[in-house]
Amino acid sequence: MKLKGIECLGMDLRKTWKLVRERRAISVVVSNVILTGAVIAASFVVLYWTQYRSSVYNEQFSEAMNADIARLKERLAFEFVFYNYSGSGLSVYLMNCGTVDDVTIQTVYVKDATGVLIRVSSSITLMHFNGTQIADKDLDRGEEGYFVLSSLNPLLTGASYSVRVVTGRGSSFDSTFVA
Amino acid sequence: MTVHSSLEKRFRKLKANSKGFSSVIGTTFMVIVVMFLSTSVFLWTLSQNTIYNEAVRARNQEEADRRSENVVASGGNYSVSGDDVTVKVVLKNAGSVAVQIVNLWVLDSAPSNRRYTNKSLNLNLKSGDVLNLVGSSGLNVTIPGADPSHNFASWFVTAKGNTIPLEKEQGVIVAQLAQGIGSIALDFYTFRYYLYESSTKLANYPDGTISFNSPKGTPIAYGCKLTNLDPTKETITLNSHSVIWQPSVGVGVECVWYIVNVQPDGTINGTYSNITLAYGETQLLIFASGNDLGTSSFKQVKTPTSVGIMPTFLLLHGSIGSRAYGQNLPFVSIYYS
Repeated sequence: MKLKGIECLGMDLRKTWKLVRERRAISVVVSNVILTGAVIAASFVVLYWTQYRSSVYNEQFSEAMNADIARLKERLAFEFVFYNYSGSGLSVYLMNCGTVDDVTIQTVYVKDATGVLIRVSSSITLMHFNGTQIADKDLDRGEEGYFVLSSLNPLLTGASYSVRVVTGRGSSFDSTFVA
Repeated sequence: MTVHSSLEKRFRKLKANSKGFSSVIGTTFMVIVVMFLSTSVFLWTLSQNTIYNEAVRARNQEEADRRSENVVASGGNYSVSGDDVTVKVVLKNAGSVAVQIVNLWVLDSAPSNRRYTNKSLNLNLKSGDVLNLVGSSGLNVTIPGADPSHNFASWFVTAKGNTIPLEKEQGVIVAQLAQGIGSIALDFYTFRYYLYESSTKLANYPDGTISFNSPKGTPIAYGCKLTNLDPTKETITLNSHSVIWQPSVGVGVECVWYIVNVQPDGTINGTYSNITLAYGETQLLIFASGNDLGTSSFKQVKTPTSVGIMPTFLLLHGSIGSRAYGQNLPFVSIYYS
């Protein structure tokens, strides 16, 4: 019984040795392994690249979407628009009655009733109602503030004008006043 | 049977043949990658759209709430004293949503004094709430150069950004009503008396004690707020003969308190200089002297020593514009105890 086992072991060793020494078809196996490895490596590269591109796309889309949502939440109420004959200044009193903070004023347009542009101003200084400057230069939720457009060309008394306020996020709000 | 063996043969051949194995792996991998990425991008885009739709829905709701605000500011009236303008109004929330009022704007629209001011408020009105900002609850603002003859406009601003214009009371009706009894109207709810801190100084001036009950047998002075509602909008001047008079009925003792000038600290002047009331102006007038200060010196007045009720008349005398003026207001009853 023991002798038979030793014979079997000898046969296995011989087969293994024969397999090791066999050179036929080895190039096919190696090439398949290399090819498969290359394909898997290339696939991972493609996966990484597509994931990178999709994350960039997601990020851009997310930023655009958040900007849209913030713009949607913006709302400014015109509490009062007052034109001062003597000082040729236009005071515009605003309140942020939207649901988003940090509403900045980018540009202000003043037009007459026919739509002719009277004044465009992009350097707006926001003030509290008590006359002090708003430190963070924006209106948070519920915050009130005003700005003055000085050195305005004299407006016609009794004529109607419109004022458009464009925020930093791109929303625009309009009001009319009579000089 | 032939077909089956043919398929079996082909399958064995396919199993034994390793050619194209990498293509199968590559294709499978690519399909999985594409499916994974497209699914994740799709789901993510879907979630972003949901967020955006939620923001749009919230915005629409806010807009609907804003449109549902319906506050009526009625019975508006202005009284002017110096640069102080008092806005009297009744606010009623007739809408279906609660409203927070955050600001009051008052504009003096007189061409000679186009000035404005605002007052921060924090008034919360539930549906159906009525807020009476009249009498002493009126809202005071300061407009330099304001005058009772000027026209004023005012509006409230809500937290949602709506403006509520103040509907002015029909002044002509008030004035006509005033004309029926005279051009001066009394604010009943601010009638008050003062005790003395010293012989010529009122205690607790100008607040006094708002009451229609007074202490008996005590030197006191009376104060009341009067408004000029003259339909012709002329200024009324009150001279030293103006007096609060209690006839000798009730507790049987006649008492008079002549009009006086009082300094801000409550000290009564020994002489009297005419008091003027411009149209729409409200002033607190003090009646304290037992003697007419135009002809005599100041003297304190003691209330009756008996317990009882007394009719009280306000006799006003002076001029309205360039014409003479006199008015008798049978106005309050006072109980002494």
